[in-house]
This record gives sequence, C-alpha cells and structure tokens, in this order.
Amino acid sequence: MRIGMFFREALRSIRANAAISVAATVTALIAVFILGAFIPSFMYVRSAVDSQKAKVDVDVYIADTASVAQVNSLRDRLNGLRTDGTVAEVTYVSKEDALRIMRERLRDPSVLDELPSNPLPAKFNVRPTDAENADVIVAAVKDDPALDPTEGIVYPESTADRLLTAAKFVQWAGFVLIGILLLAAVLLIGNTIRLSIFARRREVEVMRLVGATNWFIRWPFMIEGVICGLVGAVVAVGMLWGIKVGVVDAWAAGADSALTKTGSAAGTIAFPMLTLVLVGAGALLGAIGSGITLRRFLKV
Amino acid sequence: MSDGPDSGRPAFTLVEVPQATEDPAQDDMAALFSAPVQDGTRRKGDIFRPGPGPMVEFRGVTKTYQGNSRGLDDVSLRIGTGEFVFLVGPSGSGKSTFIRLIIRELRPTEGSVIVGGRELGELRRGKVPYLRRAIGCVFQDFRLLPDRTAAENVAYALQVTGHKKAEVRRRVPEILSLVGLDGKYDRLPRELSGGEQQRVSIARALVNHPRLLIADEPTGNLDPETSLGIMDLLLRINRTGTTVLVATHDRHTVDRMQMRVIALQEGRVVRDEESSGYHDRTGEVPA
Ligand SMILES: Nc1ncnc2c1ncn2[C@@H]1O[C@H](COP(=O)(O)OP(=O)(O)OP(=O)(O)O)[C@@H](O)[C@H]1O
Ligand SMILES: [Mg+2]
Repeated sequence: MRIGMFFREALRSIRANAAISVAATVTALIAVFILGAFIPSFMYVRSAVDSQKAKVDVDVYIADTASVAQVNSLRDRLNGLRTDGTVAEVTYVSKEDALRIMRERLRDPSVLDELPSNPLPAKFNVRPTDAENADVIVAAVKDDPALDPTEGIVYPESTADRLLTAAKFVQWAGFVLIGILLLAAVLLIGNTIRLSIFARRREVEVMRLVGATNWFIRWPFMIEGVICGLVGAVVAVGMLWGIKVGVVDAWAAGADSALTKTGSAAGTIAFPMLTLVLVGAGALLGAIGSGITLRRFLKV
Repeated sequence: MSDGPDSGRPAFTLVEVPQATEDPAQDDMAALFSAPVQDGTRRKGDIFRPGPGPMVEFRGVTKTYQGNSRGLDDVSLRIGTGEFVFLVGPSGSGKSTFIRLIIRELRPTEGSVIVGGRELGELRRGKVPYLRRAIGCVFQDFRLLPDRTAAENVAYALQVTGHKKAEVRRRVPEILSLVGLDGKYDRLPRELSGGEQQRVSIARALVNHPRLLIADEPTGNLDPETSLGIMDLLLRINRTGTTVLVATHDRHTVDRMQMRVIALQEGRVVRDEESSGYHDRTGEVPA
C-alpha cells in the first residue's frame, strides 16, 4: 500500500512536471546509450587483446648434452611454477616432435632430409597463466644447467610487452571514460530532480506543514528518478538493438571469414546480458542522482 | 451541482450555542472525533507529554524577522488544555507569527515555546512532523496542494499519518460533508471559491483529530452565515476536548461567542481576558 502510494505520487509528479521529467529521461537515455555502445566495443577489444596474450608462451630449450636427471630437475622446477599459479601448462616437445612440427610447417619438407642429424633441440613449451608472468618464468629457470647454451629461453618479449601496454591502456581508458560518463549522467539527473523539487517547493512546504516526514516526501522523488532512468534505459536498449541488428550483425557476417582467418577468438557481451546491465545502470543512475539531490535539497 | 454553496440549503444551520446534552449534532461530533481525543490516551507517534500542564505556553517569546521587523515582542502566556481562545489584533500585529511559532514553522529569536509539554527549541528535526500531526492547522492562505482535488488534499493528511486506504476512503467524505462541501470532492483548489478552499483547509486540519486545532482567519473569506457555521463547528470540536485557537478579525463572531480573548498589538499582548469580546470592556479599541 505504501509502495503503491509512493509510486502514484511519483507518477503524479512526473505528469505535473512533464518537461523536467522528459529532460531527466533523455539524459538517462543518452548516458545509457553511450554506455551501451561502449561496453561491447570495450569488451571486444579486451577479449581480442586477451586472446593474443594467451598466445604468449615461453620456450625453454634443452641442451642436447643435458642428462636425464638434469632434464627432470628442469621439469620439476617448471611444474613447481605451475603449482604456485604462474604457469598454466608445461608441454615437453622432444627433438623428434620438434622436427616433425618443422616438417609440417615447411612448404618443402624435403630440405630437412638432407640434414645429417636433427639440429633442433628439445624444449619445454610453457604457457603462463598471464602474459605478465613470462618474466617470472624466465627469471626462475635462466641459470638452469639443462638449458641449451645457444637457444636458451625464447619468448616474444616485445610482442608481449606491447600487448600488455595496450591491454592496460584499453582497460584504464575504459574505466575512466565509463566513470566520467556515469558521473556526468548522475549529476545531470540529479540536477533535473533538483528542478523538479524546485518546481514543487511550495507543495513540499505544504506537505511538511501537514506533518509529512522527510522520507515520506522523498520517496516519490526517488521513484521519479528511478522511473526516468528506467524509461531512458529501455529506450536506449531499443535503439542499440536496432543498431545491432541493422548494422553490426550485417557487418560482422561479412567480416566473419576474415576474423576467423586471423584466428581471433575475440567475443563480446551477449545482448540479453547487456540489456540487463544497462537497465540496471539506468535505474541506478536515477536512484543515485535523485538520492544525492534529495540529501542536499530536501531537509526538514 | 449547479447550486452554489450558499444558495439553497445553507451549509450549516446554526442553532443558538447548543446545549451539549440535548444537541443531537453533538453526538455526531463525538462519534467523528472518536475516543482518543477525549480520554487523553496517547496515540501512536504522539509526541505530546501526558500531564495536566498547559497545551501551549510562551515564555518571553520574541520573534524578529530579517530586516529587524518585529513579529512578536516578549510574549508570555498559557493556553490550557481544552480551552477555546480567540487571538485578535489589527493586521500586522503578530497573530500569524504566533501561530507559526507553535507549529515550528518559525523559531523564536528569544524565549521558548512549549507545546503539549514539549519545549520546541529542543525538539529534534525528525520529530517536527509528529508535532505537526498532533496539531491541526488552518492556514490564512489555505496552503492546499494545487494539483490535488479537495478529497485528495484531505486524504494527504491521512496518508501522511499512515492510515489505511479503507480508512481514508471512509473518513474523507465524512469530514468534507461536515464542512459543507458535499458534491465538490473532485474539484481542484482553483475550481473552488475562496470560501470553499478555506473549508477544504479546515477539513484537512480536522481529519486527523488533532489535540490542538489552530485556525488563522478561518472565516476571512466566508459570508456571515457560513462563518457562523464554521465557528459552531469549531466550538463543537472544542467540546470533545480539543484545544482550539482561532486568530481572527471577525468582531461579530468574537463578541457573540464570549470566549477567552488574547489581543495583540505590534507584537505585544495588550489584553488577555476570559469571556470577552473583540474590544475592551470599556468598548475602546485596545490601545
Ligand atoms: N517573513 C517575514 N519577514 C519579515 N517580516 C515579516 C515576515 N512575516 C511577517 N512579518 C512582519 O511581522 C509582523 C507580524 O506579521 P503577522 O503576519 O504575524 O501579522 P498578522 O497579525 O497575522 O496580520 P494579518 O491579520 O494581516 O494576517 C508584520 O509587521 C509583518 O510585516
Ligand atoms: Mg496573519
């Protein structure tokens, strides 16, 4: 009964101040729309970077002269890294395996037949849990006696570093942008609610004089903010859906083969999930926006 | 309803000051203003302290507005529980200021205001709404909510105090009918005449069965007949145990009713007499 009444009061206030309510709704719409365009793009870039990062692995080459005991001790050290979470996987690639892989890669494998002996060293292929851990792995085993003196440890240092920098940049830029965007939206919605309070200040005065408590007066404004946020979010989601179906999906269908060729496993957020996030964000924007304003402008 | 409120059947029929035991209207009133008002038991959220003390007490109260304009000047007085008091005085003498101090719409510059045993200066902010619920106030400028109908305006005062929907539906027409607004429940304030708006304001003040009923110029916009009807209503409410304070310029009413009169002039109490009229007993305008 209480909730129903506050809800009706909120609708009454929205109707009474239609222009202001529309302004708040449009503010929420714009913010949620930008957020809704940004989140999938951001997640796409991040997942692209992640899928590249997953390919950063470390090859630890083993000297042909290393004894079985030495090789086992190296394996133990690497497996030790696996237990502390630095390493995801350790694969042993024997000399023969290495040669076979080489043979598969070459356009004309016959050149290998002319070699007097197998020149390729055996190796441990180590996949770190995170590209950042490559350095830790290198540091842990770089003095190992079993290492091949010429090949040693090989990992795509510069690629990894560049990817890491890019990934971090994308991440931080994303957070900062989303943060600024949300802050701006909260302030704008807060401001429109302030206008709504101002437009109704005489009424609020009367409500107080007949004994309404602070929260009795506040709830309808709060709900008003949430309704504006929700409606704005729903309209924004509708627009995003239109753009997704009309533009992005069509483009992705055309680009699909190209993407799979480069082996990109990049994905992005599913639309229903995005809808949920955005509608939640809209409601939250409205609630926080009006909440902040009410604290400042609606005191007994 | 093509009939105006004042054509045809009058809103109230004023009998000579009625005898409580013989008047059937008095029984209606007792039914409408149910037991709690009379037996003094505490209601939920009631902030008035029980006890034999006065309902309102002013102790050396001075209210200076911004720009050094004087609203009240060193006023000390008591209004006992169950009293009926007229507050008179020329325009600008401080009547509204007096009333606004009681509901803590204003706070005194000096001195203290005590209502229902509560020193208002010490009342926490959060308690102010509860103070106002215990007081019914008819404002000089009505203070109706402009986008709500007569019924909704009255209902708001009930909703504020957390009454159930069914209770609101039952009580609102009852009280609107009591002030003679039958058939006008769904009119917005701007669709009502000044006198009708005033009666909505009165209905709203009554609907919560306040312990203290304050009316600032409740008959200012009413014809003499309706005016009498309103005063009669206030008197009947007073008989149920409610303390009533009426600020007015209406000399005839004051003279006719012969109640306690507090006269203000330039913010000072210049006369405070039991069973009195608008003017001094000498017939002089209070000087
Ligand atoms: N908000 C205010 N700011 C400054 N002065 C004020 C304010 N309200 C009232 N006053 C002054 O205080 C004095 C008392 O005003 P008040 O409204 O109490 O008079 P009143 O007796 O109710 O008059 P009326 O019969 O015309 O309603 C007046 O001189 C008035 O000008
Ligand atoms: Mg006045």
